[in-house]
Amino acid sequence: MKTWFPEAFEEFRVVSIYDLLVEYIQSGRIKLDKSRFAGHKVTLHEPCNYFRKSAAAFGQDYSSEYRYIVKNCFEEADIVEMYPNGLNNHCCGAGGGAWAMPYSQERIAYGKDKADQIKETGADIVVAPCHNCRDQIMKSLSKEFDMGNCKETLYLWELVAQALIIEPWSEEEVKRSHALRDAQYERDGVELESEEF
Amino acid sequence: MQNETIRLSQETKSRLELTPEMASRCYTCATCSSGCPASGLVPGWDARKAIRAVSLGLDQEVVDSKWPWVCTLCGRCQYACPQGIQILKTFRGLRSLRERDQVPGPLHKGTMMNLERGNNLGIPRDDFLILLAELSVELMEDDEEKPCPGFYVPVDKENANVIVTINSKEPFSEPDDLKFWWQIFYAAKEDWTVSSTNWEGVNWGLFTGDDASMKEQVHRVLENARRLKAKTILYPE
Ligand code: SF4
Ligand code: SF4
Repeated sequence: MKTWFPEAFEEFRVVSIYDLLVEYIQSGRIKLDKSRFAGHKVTLHEPCNYFRKSAAAFGQDYSSEYRYIVKNCFEEADIVEMYPNGLNNHCCGAGGGAWAMPYSQERIAYGKDKADQIKETGADIVVAPCHNCRDQIMKSLSKEFDMGNCKETLYLWELVAQALIIEPWSEEEVKRSHALRDAQYERDGVELESEEF
Repeated sequence: MQNETIRLSQETKSRLELTPEMASRCYTCATCSSGCPASGLVPGWDARKAIRAVSLGLDQEVVDSKWPWVCTLCGRCQYACPQGIQILKTFRGLRSLRERDQVPGPLHKGTMMNLERGNNLGIPRDDFLILLAELSVELMEDDEEKPCPGFYVPVDKENANVIVTINSKEPFSEPDDLKFWWQIFYAAKEDWTVSSTNWEGVNWGLFTGDDASMKEQVHRVLENARRLKAKTILYPE
């Protein structure tokens, strides 16, 4: 985007998922409950795109934002770093579109390093803030290799959603929202089978 | 190409628009390949060899190999290279030199599908809208732990604060995963929207080395934001 459409950055505010989640947490727009993950240990996978590549291209990586978000879901003592981490962290093996390529043997062999890294942390949850990484770790590495204690692979936003304290909207707000919704469905010709909602 | 003598002539030239930092400045130290998880996966190839081949003008050999595709473009090599070689740019360039119908797997097909129908998996607009509506009902009521009364997915809503894209994999095969963000938006009372067309958030052109398609994809994200007068674009992960 920066290369091709630099003007976009003047026209819009462009934010990453990290920026947005940090903003919600800092401003108090969302509230998180650390006790949701009490007794669990978590480790952090760093997807190449938002870390190494972003650091190379824009001189900015999201390491601190990432950790800030996780620290709001977990007690600090329950966060275990991988080795190596940060800009030297290992790729999960599904980067560059590998998940969708026919070289699954290579993709799996590539991921062995990652599986070992995860195992060594002893964590039972690994956070993967990227669709490819999450699929690779959850659907492939966890089956092919011994990842030790690790049982769960969660998207970063899945982790946040699980720790989220949701306060239902007021009746007033629900009513307003339903009216907007009905107008939209009418406009788009969306008809749902169940009538009771 | 192992064990054969290779004769180079003046005509042996790389088809990549090479600049010194893309290959020729390499002094073959092998820092790249020694820290590369893909080393040893493709017989005859590793990062250093591929860079070396390019600087000797033998890039067709690398293009014909599966090396550029088994390499995940993770960038670990480039981060460590003492000569500052732009290894990713070079390897991605090698991917783009592959004939389009020889691009492995569904990546190129998906890229074309996206250009034609607005998402990599060709999900039709009406199916998409119905799915969002049905999932909304589930989230609103059925989620026993955390019901979100009043929730729906605002589609094509003008003047929203944030416009988002969607990874076509989710509506296609893991629709429940869409709800994580929805719960967050609900709790934050975000004023958000998604476009009913061209909502794809994954740019496979990036992976196939197809700059034109990649640019078109980014362009669409911007056009949606303009049409709907959104203030903020949430860039996909
Ligand atoms: S690390 Fe850099 S200089 Fe060393 S072999 Fe690899 S590309 Fe060449
Ligand atoms: S970008 Fe490719 S060559 Fe470089 S370390 Fe990653 S997998 Fe290896």
